Amino acid sequence: MSKQIRKNQNSIFSALKKSNMTVIGAVLVLMIILASIFSPYFLDIYNLQSLIRDLAFIGMIGVGQSLLLLIGELDLSVGKIASLCGIMAGMMMVNWHWNPFLSLIAAVVFGLLLGCLNGLIITKLRLNAMVATIGMQGVYGGINLVLTKGKAITNIPSQIHFLGKGNVGYIPVPFIFTLIILVLILFLISKLKTGRYIYAIGNNREAAKILGIKVDKIRVIIYAIVGFISAIAGVLYVARLGSAQSSVGENWPMNSIAASVIGGVALTGGIGNPAGALIGAAIISIIQNMIVLFGVNVYWQSAVSGFVVIIAISFSSLSTIISERKKRKIKLSNLEQNQ
Amino acid sequence: MKVLEAHNITKTFPGVVALDSVDVSFQLGEIHCVIGENGAGKSTLIKCLTGVYAPDEGEILINGENAAKNKSLFDKVAYVPQEIDLFGYMTVAENLFLPYEKSGFNGQVNRRLLNKRAMPILERFHIQADPDVLVKDIPVSQQQLLQIARATVNENYEVLMLDEPTTSLTTKDTEILFDIIRQIKNENKAVIFISHKLDEIFELGDVLTVFRNGVKVAYSDIKSVDIPWVITQMTGRAVDYNQVFYSDKVSDEVLLEVEHLTGEKFTDISFVLKKGEILGFAGLVGAGRSELMQAILGYLPVYAGTVKLEGKSWKFGDPNFSVNNGFIYLPEERKSQSILPMLSVRENISISALDDLASKSGISMRKERELAQQVIEDYDVKTPTMEREIKFLSGGNQQKVIIGRSMRCNPKIMVFDEPTKGIDVGTKTQIYRMMKQLAEEKGIGIIMISSELEEVMKCSNRIIVLYNGRKAGEFDEKADKEQILSCILGVKSE
Repeated sequence: MSKQIRKNQNSIFSALKKSNMTVIGAVLVLMIILASIFSPYFLDIYNLQSLIRDLAFIGMIGVGQSLLLLIGELDLSVGKIASLCGIMAGMMMVNWHWNPFLSLIAAVVFGLLLGCLNGLIITKLRLNAMVATIGMQGVYGGINLVLTKGKAITNIPSQIHFLGKGNVGYIPVPFIFTLIILVLILFLISKLKTGRYIYAIGNNREAAKILGIKVDKIRVIIYAIVGFISAIAGVLYVARLGSAQSSVGENWPMNSIAASVIGGVALTGGIGNPAGALIGAAIISIIQNMIVLFGVNVYWQSAVSGFVVIIAISFSSLSTIISERKKRKIKLSNLEQNQ
Repeated sequence: MKVLEAHNITKTFPGVVALDSVDVSFQLGEIHCVIGENGAGKSTLIKCLTGVYAPDEGEILINGENAAKNKSLFDKVAYVPQEIDLFGYMTVAENLFLPYEKSGFNGQVNRRLLNKRAMPILERFHIQADPDVLVKDIPVSQQQLLQIARATVNENYEVLMLDEPTTSLTTKDTEILFDIIRQIKNENKAVIFISHKLDEIFELGDVLTVFRNGVKVAYSDIKSVDIPWVITQMTGRAVDYNQVFYSDKVSDEVLLEVEHLTGEKFTDISFVLKKGEILGFAGLVGAGRSELMQAILGYLPVYAGTVKLEGKSWKFGDPNFSVNNGFIYLPEERKSQSILPMLSVRENISISALDDLASKSGISMRKERELAQQVIEDYDVKTPTMEREIKFLSGGNQQKVIIGRSMRCNPKIMVFDEPTKGIDVGTKTQIYRMMKQLAEEKGIGIIMISSELEEVMKCSNRIIVLYNGRKAGEFDEKADKEQILSCILGVKSE
């Protein structure tokens, strides 16, 4: 029994090593330490809660996005799916007076269908994921404006506000959703066939087809999952703001991709772990939080946060560059000794 | 005069010594043939001599200077790879002179000037194509000649290295090529000629070096040796070479029936495969053999025709259906079509067996490990642990993993596409034995595609030859080698 437990630990450890997660986890810890040293307000409970509430949204979409990155694709329409689903939920409960919770569920199912639509367009028409989802985010964003004429939907029923604003104990509710999503996704990728096939497709799509894996079906499923998660983020954000707005989620596509990449998921597919995306999201959120706490000039904020993201992404590639240099040095010194 | 020398070169890859203390030198004005079986170390030697690999030990001298210290010396070695390596969507002239700096074009590149300078070169190599035509639109044999012409455009070259240059050439083109090679030799260049075809070597070569398992085993003047001597040197054991591996238990039951199948690269192909039979498919590279099998698998489209497995009709275009019905295809391109490079040996094995491993609580890690361990033992896979990423295993061990995992799909038919490509001699025999065993013990119908005629003849109960996408002949195990060879080369007999 104990032997078996050790074996399992070994495999979890090796999986962590493979996806560079230990490095990125260490970076996160380091950032938390630095932040708490440099700013007395960082560890303040209200600051932490608002930080975690922010990171919950980037985190859950990042976890979904990482599944797409694992098969070497991405979805740039996540933000627009989120805002469109938020607006649908708002219209259902405010304009049509549906039960608020029923409206939320309907909106989330709608998101699933939008994700499905993305997947079908990309697989059936054999489009490049990036270009196709740029197109689709235009479509979804346009529908947003048509539905709202640019105005926010206010007077969202107060029963659902706790889903966005509330805490369970000290933990913000959206973050609990993020953790549930992460656990389900981790179960999917490690314990279910579909998850294993995701890695196979990301490693070698041709080989996966020849093995008889239904590659296109799995791709559509992942797009549907990503649409579903985006919709959850969208409706939770409506609950947080108390209103549905078409401008929600503008930065989510880029931030979710950055979170995944920082978390060690390769853009080319096949390598990484969705849990890394959550750590990546935490790093991005801490950066943004620090910029506010340090009182960086508003006009500089975007530039500074972009620059720090670049540094964070560089950690994994820097380690390869350094190890290549080392190899070269050893080789050359050996050559000289032989002369 | 010695222009290119390798001193005591050793190169190892994880698990394999590809070259073991090799000494070899090449002289100006001489055609030096290099021969050896697949996996003997020829391609590793080429890569060391052209500066692609740095050897672990030893040094490469070009004109007496150590090339590891001065990489620009490698420019003197013009290398023509075996595969066509041209830019399909650029013109013949552009392909000839890229990169422009090395062929004397500075600053602006002028299409008229390009074409004007291309004409005499194309004429010399008997390439009839217009310099303005896109390379993808000219025939393969012309592409091959163009590739050689391109190597000679760099005026600094002193060594011309040709890797299997005749595989896609017709007999007539081969004659033209040989004349050109002789001219190049008379211009006092060194020519390195790598080929499997012994008759070509005896026609063209001056001296000969034989490799076996990474070791240089013989060097001789070609005039003083004969073909049987070379074969003995190549294989090391003349007796073993005659061992055969065909199935002794071919049943009368028809397993697969293919009728008038037509696709993009093959036309009107019909054949049957019986239970427990090994059916060889011979032909030149590009004859349409792989495409035919991939079309039956459902990976490539079928335009017309029918396929029946055990009398039941077949669904085209759906690899999932084919695999579920026991039709397994093991691709030639292991790297790009069959391994999952960054995943472990364990995950590469279990990917075909997830249904057996899954229970209500998901995939069982314990069962997965047991399965992987069993495959590693049964198929003699050499790997430090099952968690090793498969890309670090040697080609032979990757192939064993792939055969092992295929067995989890309850195969009825297995297609081995060039199963021994890049695999050392010992493992080759192991793979032949595995095929024979699968056919005899499990009654699996085996289709073996190979471009090495010796290998096909050793293993197959029957041989079908494709030429240019059409069935050119069918032979039984008693057929004569010359006859099959002329069929492969598209020579009409009688």
